[in-house]
Amino acid sequence: MDQRYIRNFSIIAHIDHGKSTLADRFLEITGALRPREMEAQVLDSMDLERERGITIKAHSVRLSYTPEGGAPHILNLIDTPGHVDFSYEVTRALTACEGAVLLVDASQGVEAQTVANAYLAVDQNLEILPVVNKIDLPGAQPGEAIRQIEEIVGLDAADALLASAKEGAGARAVLDAVVARVPPPAGERDGPLKALIFDSWYDSYRGVVVLIRVVDGVIRPKMKVRLMARGRHYEVEQVGVFSPKPVVVSQLEAGEVGFVIAGIKTVSDAQIGDTLTEAARPAREPCAGFTEMKPMVFAGLYPVEGHQYGDLREALQKLRLNDASFFFEPETSTALGFGFRCGFLGLLHLEIIQERLEREFGMDLVTTAPGVLYRVTTTAGETFEVDSPAKLPDPGVIAALEEPVVTAMILTPSDYVGGILQLCQEKRGVQKGLEYLASNRVMITYELPFNEVVLDFYDKLKTLSRGYASLDYHVTGFWTSPLVKLDLQVNGDPVDALSVIVHKETAYTRGRGLAVKLRKLIPRQMFEVAIQATVGGRIIARESVKALRKNVLAKCYGGDITRKRKLLEKQKEGKRRMKRVGRVEIPQEAFLAVLTVDSE
Amino acid sequence: MAPLAAQPVPPGVRAVSAGRTSGAEPLASAIISESAAASGGPLGIYLHIPFCEAICNYCNFNRGLFRTDTKRRYLIALAREIESARAGGPVDSVFFGGGTPSVLDPGDVRALIARCGSSFTLDPGAEVTLEANPETASRERLEGYRSAGVTRLSLGVQSFRDAELRRLGRAHTAARAIEAFESARSAGFDDISIDLMTWLPEQTVEHWAETLDVLIGLDPEHASLYLLELYPNAPLREDMARGGWAQAPDDVAAEMYLAALDRLETAGYAHYEISNVAKPGRRCRHNLKYWSDGAWVGFGCGAHSTRDGRRWRNVSETESYMARVADGVSPVAHEQVLSVDERATDTLFLGLRLTEGVDVPAVERRYGVNVWERWGGELTRCVEAGLLEDDSERLRLTRKGRLLASEVMQVFV
Repeated sequence: MDQRYIRNFSIIAHIDHGKSTLADRFLEITGALRPREMEAQVLDSMDLERERGITIKAHSVRLSYTPEGGAPHILNLIDTPGHVDFSYEVTRALTACEGAVLLVDASQGVEAQTVANAYLAVDQNLEILPVVNKIDLPGAQPGEAIRQIEEIVGLDAADALLASAKEGAGARAVLDAVVARVPPPAGERDGPLKALIFDSWYDSYRGVVVLIRVVDGVIRPKMKVRLMARGRHYEVEQVGVFSPKPVVVSQLEAGEVGFVIAGIKTVSDAQIGDTLTEAARPAREPCAGFTEMKPMVFAGLYPVEGHQYGDLREALQKLRLNDASFFFEPETSTALGFGFRCGFLGLLHLEIIQERLEREFGMDLVTTAPGVLYRVTTTAGETFEVDSPAKLPDPGVIAALEEPVVTAMILTPSDYVGGILQLCQEKRGVQKGLEYLASNRVMITYELPFNEVVLDFYDKLKTLSRGYASLDYHVTGFWTSPLVKLDLQVNGDPVDALSVIVHKETAYTRGRGLAVKLRKLIPRQMFEVAIQATVGGRIIARESVKALRKNVLAKCYGGDITRKRKLLEKQKEGKRRMKRVGRVEIPQEAFLAVLTVDSE
Repeated sequence: MAPLAAQPVPPGVRAVSAGRTSGAEPLASAIISESAAASGGPLGIYLHIPFCEAICNYCNFNRGLFRTDTKRRYLIALAREIESARAGGPVDSVFFGGGTPSVLDPGDVRALIARCGSSFTLDPGAEVTLEANPETASRERLEGYRSAGVTRLSLGVQSFRDAELRRLGRAHTAARAIEAFESARSAGFDDISIDLMTWLPEQTVEHWAETLDVLIGLDPEHASLYLLELYPNAPLREDMARGGWAQAPDDVAAEMYLAALDRLETAGYAHYEISNVAKPGRRCRHNLKYWSDGAWVGFGCGAHSTRDGRRWRNVSETESYMARVADGVSPVAHEQVLSVDERATDTLFLGLRLTEGVDVPAVERRYGVNVWERWGGELTRCVEAGLLEDDSERLRLTRKGRLLASEVMQVFV
């Protein structure tokens, strides 16, 4: 295939700016799918993705397109995940491209992820084509959006295109621009094979399916290949392209995008960012930028019913087959019994895994409050990381505690700057930048403890800006903090699953808030329940749930014993779903209470 | 659908197959068959009269508005159902429940009692209770019931305060209720029960005490005290929202209940079941069957029956009940053969409603269970919480435990 007629590109956008809809139009225009086959937003193939309207896993599709009066071209549209949790995957997908369509909603304008994604594309030296979408909406201000692209993102948007992906308007012009302005790939067809893995997933029939962009050389079946990061060897069984249905081809050459099946057993063997090369004639060096994805957010997942523990482990193993960035290990809690400590890229990733476990595997779960990875240095000089409050050593042996820090970029209309700065201060942030931009927009840059972001920062930001502020962040390091472990007890028994690591100064308010919250969540029982919040064994807050006085069924409806029994069974079932600590029954919501406690 | 045949079946050995089974099944079945005849005791008969003059805003019972022609057809169906149940067996209680059984004419009541007498062996000393609403209870009518064979009258008074009665949408006043009681006395009823409800909207502890004082002044033989239960779509909920009426807090309701027991005990009543008090020798024989592993057969729409380890219920809807019986089809909508385990646990949790408690060794003998071995941990928790007491023979709720009966009974389900 002549590289001159290939274009590899992505669409980058803030969430909800219409990326998937535009992709659907491309599929229609190029005839990749007949309208009858179109399911709205074809590329978002997981049910969850379609429901949430976000792309979780990147996909790619090969489109055949002939511009008017031009030659037939192959356009490889490489989709990118649309959430900050998956920004590493975004960078890998962008590395596989020469160009990117920067899609901006005509009424929303430029938002934080627009900027963040555009910067990533600039870093990769991609040709960026600004497109203003949703111009059909009543509130559309395309001129304003173009101005923002120039002034906030800093791109020349003089020849930005206007489109309404929903109506199909302008989509063809975008494809024409991709052909005209995105440079063709420029790999060496005859060089040693060098292919970038930008996605992989597990298929129960074919094993791991690896999506690659061939940089140099050719890959074909029977070739012995090597994955450069892991150093393992495989024999290629099949290569093909998605159009969007999988089509087997005889080979993939420099500049092309497609899939490879090579008997790889797990996705952790074919990690995103790794390089595929020919074993006999390897590339001199792998594609730059490979890092192993590391979980950043941790939570305990426990089956509601103890006997589901084995099923949960099996379900986690299955998910892990398809998700190398997700981690789990057994964990035991006195309150919740046997479960797993799980690590995720971020909160959305956690929610996705949790929902998939519930939906696809029918698990009934209790999830403990998510936390981050802390770095502990002991008085003996030893340094290690701790992913759970339970693993934090005794305060006496801790010389220093460090917590992960994110650099957060917040883009907001100027009206909300005051509130946002106050929120960032409350969340122990350090201001790094405050820039008044065009059109009444302000870009605020802060370093914030990741822990606070995980807690409730985003919800608060959205509330106080009435949804107008947008956020993008990346973990950029660690800093030392005076952190303490806050513990909860009911009737003197510690509820380990409720322990949290908090900043010393907020421990008192958090402890009190948590105790009050628990008082409201724990139902009255046959005896009084004392709730205490403690730090280092010292009680900092106490509440009590008065003993239940009355729970009795009065009448027997003409000898209807069955009904009486059913009512008792229903009550008992309610209790069975609670977790017992000592003699106290604690409802599952309580284990997430930590998240919704107002620290004010 | 099974034809309307001789049911309930004769007592004796029944396969115990439904529900949870265990390795001990054959043994347990043997134990049952041996004692089955003894366990039920004499039968109770329940007759459901699903009609009311007005529908109360809190009531969730199976009932509808009274219409003369429907009543006529219903009584024919009821008589036919009783007739077809030629199962014999001694009967020592008949209970007319509703709805409002006092919408029936004395002649109707007499005919139904006679019908029971021809299908069953009706003990001459049988307790025959009829539920009556004060507004329908005229002296003449009550005399008629008395001579028809009703021995016991249960008056649905609910409250002796007019404001409370109005909020409940009741048709009678306190004065009318007192008049009905006095009429019943002069009609010759020497066994009268009064139903009261507490935890009513806007009711205070003092209001409740007033109602109790009127009851004590009237000196009935028996009283039933119910806490108002607001079912999810009760029209009363709407009325409460509109009127801005509230129920007292839970803890106050508990106080009201305990205060009533104190007052009634001082006045010579014994608290023998969670919701019932009686003068000596005046406990309701029929209702006791529900709590003490007894046997009863219900007739009429939605009526429930339990006998010989089987439990069944008739179709609820009046018209379909009548249609089925008219077509000679069994009106039973659902029937269940109880497993030994269900019988044992029912006996245990229902028995806890009685102040005297459950005779644990008797249950163990009858059903082959070991109560303490199986539920000891949870029962101990209840004993420690002061809700339950055990004197190695009987297991019973404490005074405090009666208000938390459901917490304790859950142990057995």
